[in-house]
Amino acid sequence: MSTRNGLPRAGGPETDMRNDPGVRTILRRETRSSRAAAAGVAAVLVIAVCIYGLLESALRAIGQPPWLIDPQTAAERIVALPAGVPPLLLGVLGMVLAVCGLAFLLNAVLPGKRARHLIDDPRVAVVVDDEVIASALARRARAAANVTQEQVMVVVSQRLVVVNVRPTSGVPVQEERVLSAVEDELRSMAPEPMPAIRVNIAESGVIGA
Amino acid sequence: MNGTPRVLNRILVGILGLLLLGAGVLLVLLASVPAVAQWWQGWASDAYQQAILMAEQTRIPGRQESWLWLAAAALMVVLIVLMVAWLAQQGKGRANLIVSDYEDETTPGEVQIGGGVAEQALKAALAGRPDLAGVTVATYEVQGRPGLRVRVHPRLGVSPQLLAAEVSALIGALDEVVGAKTPVLLHIAGGARSRFSRAERVR
Repeated sequence: MSTRNGLPRAGGPETDMRNDPGVRTILRRETRSSRAAAAGVAAVLVIAVCIYGLLESALRAIGQPPWLIDPQTAAERIVALPAGVPPLLLGVLGMVLAVCGLAFLLNAVLPGKRARHLIDDPRVAVVVDDEVIASALARRARAAANVTQEQVMVVVSQRLVVVNVRPTSGVPVQEERVLSAVEDELRSMAPEPMPAIRVNIAESGVIGA
Repeated sequence: MNGTPRVLNRILVGILGLLLLGAGVLLVLLASVPAVAQWWQGWASDAYQQAILMAEQTRIPGRQESWLWLAAAALMVVLIVLMVAWLAQQGKGRANLIVSDYEDETTPGEVQIGGGVAEQALKAALAGRPDLAGVTVATYEVQGRPGLRVRVHPRLGVSPQLLAAEVSALIGALDEVVGAKTPVLLHIAGGARSRFSRAERVR
């Protein structure tokens, strides 16, 4: 495979992979979070609670003293709530539980879009992290503004690209040049969805850059 | 690209979230609203009496304990097994073959091509590139068919569209060699590997 671009491509409209159902599924899945981390935490949590429950009931069954609390006493304490526990502690405990629950729930319910864009290609399904797009755009913006790399910051989100440039003190930066350079790069990249561009030139300059 | 059961993840994580949220809200209300505390003590002690009654009715003959304890223990064991099974589902779906059923009348028998062929070929082709900080290639099963996942970590400032076109050309060449078209995912990834590499550094 040393001839990187030498071999002819098996191209043609009949071999277009874009409408392949498998490829469509892959792209749909790749732009959304799999929630594997939340699932792992949830499963471990449930397993831990179950193991603890088993341990305490086993201790009770063989007539040993309980480790932390014996199941029957626990049930009686729960029935007697809010007596027996300081209200502040109870409230804080409830808040913590509720926040954890809300985090899990939102994780499950929200769309979970990943910070990625698609690039159209006839053969390969391409997903690009927004970070990569940002760094490519920043390189173009930097060249157009004629500043150092530290003076350019690009933030890419689903529908908006924000280019922040801090000019060198005394050397004005032409906003249109930066905008057209970034526009040009973005047009040749053609990410999907196509974001809008906003260029911010900072009021204060950087000295000695 | 992998076979993580996403709908199942959402459902189970959502159920756990609802349970935790409900318990938390109940605790907060118990601590703050006296009316809720009153209601809870009435309702919970009724339920507790019922449970005691049930436990007495379901006593194992000749012993003091109820078989409900055994049932509860069994339920917890089943729950643990189910959770472990669920964990095992995450990120599964690696495949070994990239071509398993080669449709070719001139070739008798069946041709199988291992995923390692594509993985090694692509890795070797992309290895010497100065604009890449890393390449990983893996074979996965997508809807019962093998598919390739190519993940490249470009250095900062590399134009993703040019990289995509070049990898696409490589995949075209691979198609010619293998003789079959498999779905390919190219993931142009950022992350620490790219961020701390040399070349254009942008934050």
